[in-house]
Amino acid sequence: MKRSIDIGILQSQSGNYAALSVISRAGLLRGVAEVNASPDYDLCFRVCGRDPEGRTDRYAPLCREILRETGARHIFGCVTSSSRKEVIPELERFDGVLWYPLPYEGFEASERVAYLHSCPNQHLLPLLDWALPALGRRGYLVGSNYIWGWEIAQIARERIAALGGEVAGDRYLALGDCDSSHIINEIAALQPDFILNSLVGESDYAFLSQLRDLRDRTGARLQVLSCNFTECEIESSQGGAEGLIAAGPWFEPGEGRGGSIAEVARRSVHELARLLHGRPGAERLSLADLLRDAPGAARSRLDPTHFHAAQPVVIAQIREGRFHEILRHAPRAADPYLTARDRDLPSAPILRVVS
Amino acid sequence: MTRLRTENLGNALAFVLHRPHPAIQGLTRQLRVIGLELREVWPDLPAEAISADFIFYDADTGHDEQFPWAPGASPMPMIALIGSEAPGRLNWALTMGAHAQLLKPVSDKGVYAALLVARANYDRARASDALIADLEDRLSARQTVVQAVMIFVLRGKSEAEAYELLRQTAMAWRVTIEIAAARLVANHRAESPGKEDRK
Repeated sequence: MKRSIDIGILQSQSGNYAALSVISRAGLLRGVAEVNASPDYDLCFRVCGRDPEGRTDRYAPLCREILRETGARHIFGCVTSSSRKEVIPELERFDGVLWYPLPYEGFEASERVAYLHSCPNQHLLPLLDWALPALGRRGYLVGSNYIWGWEIAQIARERIAALGGEVAGDRYLALGDCDSSHIINEIAALQPDFILNSLVGESDYAFLSQLRDLRDRTGARLQVLSCNFTECEIESSQGGAEGLIAAGPWFEPGEGRGGSIAEVARRSVHELARLLHGRPGAERLSLADLLRDAPGAARSRLDPTHFHAAQPVVIAQIREGRFHEILRHAPRAADPYLTARDRDLPSAPILRVVS
Repeated sequence: MTRLRTENLGNALAFVLHRPHPAIQGLTRQLRVIGLELREVWPDLPAEAISADFIFYDADTGHDEQFPWAPGASPMPMIALIGSEAPGRLNWALTMGAHAQLLKPVSDKGVYAALLVARANYDRARASDALIADLEDRLSARQTVVQAVMIFVLRGKSEAEAYELLRQTAMAWRVTIEIAAARLVANHRAESPGKEDRK
């Protein structure tokens, strides 16, 4: 007989990043169905879902609603960092835990958040380290006008400079803004060796398709790199994503799993199930205790200090509508504040490209 | 003491001067997460704390004698851990030289910001101190410059020629005008008593 544990799902079913949140929710539900059907777990999950409709100010009240009005204490959800930062005070006040299955920009380590996707030392830095020698040293940065876009650009600027490259320009678009003609004109004039694209959602798809038109007109390569573009968005960008190179922990070799956002979401449900299996009442523990006292079989990919998952690094390119792996690194620990390098290499300068 | 850049915290050493208490568990956790080496000490900072990159200190029960340096003279950024926001304690924390502060109980938020703010404030204060010391030196050197010019004037130069000679001398010696003036005055004094002895 399986014990039943309530969990929350806080993912938007509409709004300008719905492509991501809908697929993330589908992956979570799939994970729940697998856990509930599996004889390997002595528990099943009952889902209490809420839909913030892609509106940042809906996340905190709905998070509170889950924590106060349902039996759920563990909530899976959020896509943008802004929404994650909205719910953290609610988690603190009402003793909740957020399982966050999307890539983010780092520089956070809440005691109430399990970070299950990747942070910059697992996506952005290896991507740039590969890109500069392979593509050239002049980069152009474009991103959504909020913390993800800003911080990715900030870290990229530092890394590109350290690798001996230069940033030809950087521009930001509001979430949902689909007019990127001024950016396209600037890219046409500057002809960068690569474009690091941190746009999210609808404006991303519009930008990619306008960039494809520019490519078709001029024959320029204009290689796009991304740390947030995934399988579920290929169709939305109307062929604009062809050739795009992305970094992440996993890319779907074929079809059927709904892409990497769904897959990481699905795995994160299993992660919690493994940690709770055979431990009645463990769902009331703090994340720190849940991880620290986990029996050997449930040993988590989550770091017991900062609760970020160790991840492999995969760099892959979209060809004919599918990701093809270019490069793979073994799983590496997350380094949310990018300080591990300082410890490993006390005073040595980081790699410099000599051309 | 400045082996640390703002963004480079991975090698940094922090001393936490606070009695063991749940109110600072969040601080020690975040410092470890961010990647600093951490030493918790109480009731006094040991002499080796002088090699630390950051000092976190208790503003509630702290006092001057805990520190191996004079109030306000810490050779690194200091972050006050404030529980009671009473003017007397805040005044003491500021006199000790707080470059940033954290409120107790310290949560998982604010520690990284406090490190960067403290570092920036400390660097700015040090740069200002160095500038002030330099300006004070120059101010007191002005009198010496006038004396050096007078030496040349006594030897028959006009004031303009005397200044030009002083400038050329400084260039030839590859020193500042103030240092050249001080040497000229010292030489002149060394020569003068000798003449007086012979009289």
